[in-house]
Amino acid sequence: MEFIYLLGGGTPTIKKYKADAAIVAGTLVLQAASADAGIVPSTTTSWVNSAGLAMDAGVLAVGAPVTYSTTQGDPEYIVSTLINPNAVLRVLMVSSATNAQLEGRVVGTASANGLTAVGTTGETDPSNPDMVNGTVWYTGGGQGGVSRRIVSTTTTLTVTVQVPFAANRIGDTFCTVPYSPCLSGTAGAILTMSTNLLNVRAELAPTGATATVVDIETNGRSNSYIHVLPMDSIFAGQLT
Amino acid sequence: MSAETSPTILVKRTFTKQELLKNREAPGKKKGLTAGTWIHDLCALKKVITLCPGCTHKFNPGRLGYIREKEYPAVQATCDGCNIFDIRCTAYFFEETYRTVRSTAADRRANRTASLRRLATEGHL
Repeated sequence: MEFIYLLGGGTPTIKKYKADAAIVAGTLVLQAASADAGIVPSTTTSWVNSAGLAMDAGVLAVGAPVTYSTTQGDPEYIVSTLINPNAVLRVLMVSSATNAQLEGRVVGTASANGLTAVGTTGETDPSNPDMVNGTVWYTGGGQGGVSRRIVSTTTTLTVTVQVPFAANRIGDTFCTVPYSPCLSGTAGAILTMSTNLLNVRAELAPTGATATVVDIETNGRSNSYIHVLPMDSIFAGQLT
Repeated sequence: MSAETSPTILVKRTFTKQELLKNREAPGKKKGLTAGTWIHDLCALKKVITLCPGCTHKFNPGRLGYIREKEYPAVQATCDGCNIFDIRCTAYFFEETYRTVRSTAADRRANRTASLRRLATEGHL
């Protein structure tokens, strides 16, 4: 994940915090739930009590291995953390725990009225996991780059939109993801991260870590992003 | 005659999450260590360097493979040189790490341009 901007502008605040475990730069870090040596890594489905975004990783001694250690005499593991609760993060969308690129769909049945995009047999059913309230956009064909919000899906490889596209053609390519701007899901739980905690899995229904989608960048299968605002920062002035 | 011991009153205090996290903040450079040595140690570990207006001109980022954060000319941080919290610090990132943790307008523009160029090259536009 990348820090992209602060909602409402302002100045980033960076703190160097002690850590309780090895942390990867570009991942969200959390306050530990119990007695601990410092901040802890987030998980693939939880950003509860987030402290911010790790901007680097490593220890504070030249020549020492840059690994978290509890060996007596070893240096502390310190992480620079961007702690603004209104920091918007740019997250690459992938389609597996190991960061496979998004599934490319191909129009199998043309739509004259532009209200549907129907895929080809063999592709993943867009209604399971359900892509409703997500985004569909063309990555190739006559409408490359054009996107719409999905209002319904069916088991017959069909996603339906409310504001019609132009008529599509068999062979046009498109992508579907369960994310669209302003989406916050059920109590904000929308993100399941890949195993390395850096990217969001867009092949799943929105559930997991709490965040709100601020914006979406619809490019190709391997370079499309969502901009998210984590919703459970310990610096947001909330009591829980 | 034995000395009397004064009673001790124990008051349990509930720390807030913010106070607990404050205790987890790194203490900065050790006493006796010069600022330059400390910052070179941080650079060797590819850490983010934050320097206040009084210290920033003493740091040459290019020589150490660092770049200055330009989209945000000021960050709030504890100065790695003088160990004072300042709201007008300058942040320096190790160049290799920078693109992992920061998305700049230039990066996004290049990404978008590449995407549009691909569509045009493939005849979709």
